Amino acid sequence: MTLLRAESLTKRFVSRGPLGARAEFTAVDQVSFEVQLGETLAVVGESGSGKSTTARMIAKLMDPTAGTLEFDGEDVTHAKGAALARFRANVQVVFQDPFSSLNPRHTVERILMAPLVYQGIAPKGSRREHAKELMERVGLNPDHSLRYPAQFSGGQAQRIGIARALAVNPKLVICDEAVSALDVSVQAQVIELLRRLQRESGFSYVFIAHDLAVVRQIAHRVAVMSKGRIVEIGPARQVFDDPQDEYTRTLLAAIPRIDPEWDRRRRERS
Amino acid sequence: MSELLVVQDLTVTFPTTRGPVDVVRGVSFAVGRDETVGIVGESGSGKSMTSLAIMGLLPKGATTRGSIRLNGTELLGRPDRELRRLRGDQMSMIFQDPLSSLNPYYTVGLQIEEMYRAHRGGTRKAAREVAIRALGHVGLPEPERRVDYYPHQFSGGQRQRVMIAMALVCEPALLIADEPTTALDVTVQAQILRLLAGLQRESGTGLVFITHDLAVISSIATRVLVMRRGEQVEYGTAEQIFAEPEHEYTRMLLESIPRIDDSLDDPPHGSLIGSPDDEVIL
Amino acid sequence: MTRYVIGRLAGVVVILFLVCLFTFVLFFTLQPDPAVMICGKTCTPERIDQIRDVLGLNQPFLTQFFGFLGGIFAGRDYGEGANLVHCAAPCLGYSFQTNQSVMDMVVERLPVSATVAIGAAVLWLIVGIAAGLLSAVKEGTWWDRTAMGLALGGSSIPNYVLALALQYVLVVQLQVLPFPQAVAFSDDPVVWFQSYLMPWIVLATGYACLYARLTRANVIDTLAENFMRTARSKGLSPALTMRRHALRPALTPIATIFGMDFAALLGGALITETVFGLNGVGKMAADSIAKNDQPVIMAVTLLAAFFVVVGNLVVDLVYTRLDPRVRITTP
Repeated sequence: MTLLRAESLTKRFVSRGPLGARAEFTAVDQVSFEVQLGETLAVVGESGSGKSTTARMIAKLMDPTAGTLEFDGEDVTHAKGAALARFRANVQVVFQDPFSSLNPRHTVERILMAPLVYQGIAPKGSRREHAKELMERVGLNPDHSLRYPAQFSGGQAQRIGIARALAVNPKLVICDEAVSALDVSVQAQVIELLRRLQRESGFSYVFIAHDLAVVRQIAHRVAVMSKGRIVEIGPARQVFDDPQDEYTRTLLAAIPRIDPEWDRRRRERS
Repeated sequence: MSELLVVQDLTVTFPTTRGPVDVVRGVSFAVGRDETVGIVGESGSGKSMTSLAIMGLLPKGATTRGSIRLNGTELLGRPDRELRRLRGDQMSMIFQDPLSSLNPYYTVGLQIEEMYRAHRGGTRKAAREVAIRALGHVGLPEPERRVDYYPHQFSGGQRQRVMIAMALVCEPALLIADEPTTALDVTVQAQILRLLAGLQRESGTGLVFITHDLAVISSIATRVLVMRRGEQVEYGTAEQIFAEPEHEYTRMLLESIPRIDDSLDDPPHGSLIGSPDDEVIL
Repeated sequence: MTRYVIGRLAGVVVILFLVCLFTFVLFFTLQPDPAVMICGKTCTPERIDQIRDVLGLNQPFLTQFFGFLGGIFAGRDYGEGANLVHCAAPCLGYSFQTNQSVMDMVVERLPVSATVAIGAAVLWLIVGIAAGLLSAVKEGTWWDRTAMGLALGGSSIPNYVLALALQYVLVVQLQVLPFPQAVAFSDDPVVWFQSYLMPWIVLATGYACLYARLTRANVIDTLAENFMRTARSKGLSPALTMRRHALRPALTPIATIFGMDFAALLGGALITETVFGLNGVGKMAADSIAKNDQPVIMAVTLLAAFFVVVGNLVVDLVYTRLDPRVRITTP
């Protein structure tokens, strides 16, 4: 079942110099893709590829200049009011920097209860219990529900961000460089968490990242972006093992690797 | 191989309101001439503090113990006036974020010239020629024109090339690169790594390469030091560290790296991964 | 770049025109009849009519407004026949109180205000920046804390309090300074200097305190920049590192603030000039407001607007020189 359909999404930015000299810049140029329910689509690219602008448009944090966006069979390109509220109840975002996207003056409990209050959702138990359940689901100690974000490490804070996204039981979670700022050991844990949550709940991810190796761990399908366009899109195995586009090949070749021989010897020892 | 830099039992202590804290504790390693040594660790491992201690650039109030010898001369305890003569001349450093590491108010030419003239003297004109040659050497096209550019007129990768040109302008014996490719796109990272490796082969500079990325270090270093929370976890040849790691933490770190060759269908590499409560709670 | 400057100049003209129009409307609608005020005690209705006629006060609003504007650019005539008075461009009309040409009054008083402003500016720049620098370098020491405490207190003393206090202490009690007199520099440089010293100190105090705090904050921020670490890693001397790498980034924002403050001061330091009896533009403004001398009020308003708008333009142009990142490149 197609959950999200982006059709020729385009975003142009216009900047004005002195005396109204116009400079136009097309950040995203006619990008089309679909996301099925329960799958992970990764959008990868280098800086300036337009991946973050794409993420913002499908999260409806930014309006496209042209193109349409459909969610769950409904055109949400220009959704407002009740339609937009319905969209927000189903689509959540996890940002790169957990500390700047969590209110430092609110306890974790309050942060996790807020989406329910906004959406007017009453969970089975109390909202407080719901918040504790969410903490448990993302591997945090529910006894810490009255702590503030600053009292957690980076990886734990990102778990709070993920729990907040899951609070309304969304159908789509957009991860915008959600693991990029984390140390590698923590990153591995958070990726594992994201995979487990999807297995448990069956929602979809749009996973925006610049790190192809990370994408390989989580994506079912991959879209490679360069200069505002999708240069290649397909099943992860195909894009990684048999890339068709020249740019994709350059990108893959540039990834630093550990000598596979060393990896093999180490794994044999342990 | 004669050792260029020998660090022995280095400890760096910071005064805090809760008393002194060791940010680096008992670290020992050596860098040979013409050799690349990698220092890897996650955030808070003390890897950057180690490099600043070598350069004598630790923040005010930090104290050091142990020994750092460059070409047989002890650096610790020497007055800043003497260290200043070595900095930029005998040893130099490049940083993670080239944009903020270059002064936005001056042309890159001037920033290279002032460093050259601080150590070698000479006229501005002569230094300018040296700067142009240095910029050409790191693969910047049209160095005669670019020498008058300001840092913001370059792309991220070009800026790091400028930093490298500047760091090598006095042909130092030792270059410390602190996460030099972390802020760069992966294709640009590959170019910078190639450039560094090429320059190093050519000039015989000893290179200390600091990074959080084990895959990057594996392609460039001959010896590797693994650090965690200010302590030395493991030190050995790249092959030892990557193929036969002794320490549990090194193994965990290596297993944590996402591999481009592993796919989603492979079993998760979570067996070695601890619980999230392993992380520090303040 | 040329296109940019022309564009900005056009903007300056538009803003000044709007300021003119706005002040004119304000006086036209709000003020009591100027003819009655000029006429004075021995007034007859005929005399009032005559005044109205000469000044064109019977004309509709727009005619009066453009008459005023025309006077600035082309000069204008008042009255007719034997009574005709020609007012050469740039004409700002005549004071209702003294019948003096307003332009002459401005020309006469502007040097006084400029002397006050320039002297004060030199003083506050030297003291403010030096104190701020020292505080930044010695951050957290007793010097820093004392200086910043004083700066905080100093910037909250009203000018008139400071002026009266200084006068009382230096002139009345200690008698180290004479009471300020209107003496030309060429006549007696010593008395000239002594007369301006107190106004300079009074005006400079508030600004110096503000600039000290700004400088300190900017320098501390700059010292923490990554490029400062680079400069040290290059083995540059501490003096060069400070002078070249820290000062320019730290002081550039202050240069722009200074431009604005100084321009505003050229339009007259109302309180200081009044307290010390200096015949500058500020005192002229105070007097004209007290006596509702419309042409003079118009002139000081326009003058102040002119300095602020032009000052703003100069600051922007200078900034493009100081900070290469905002340098304008015409496509």
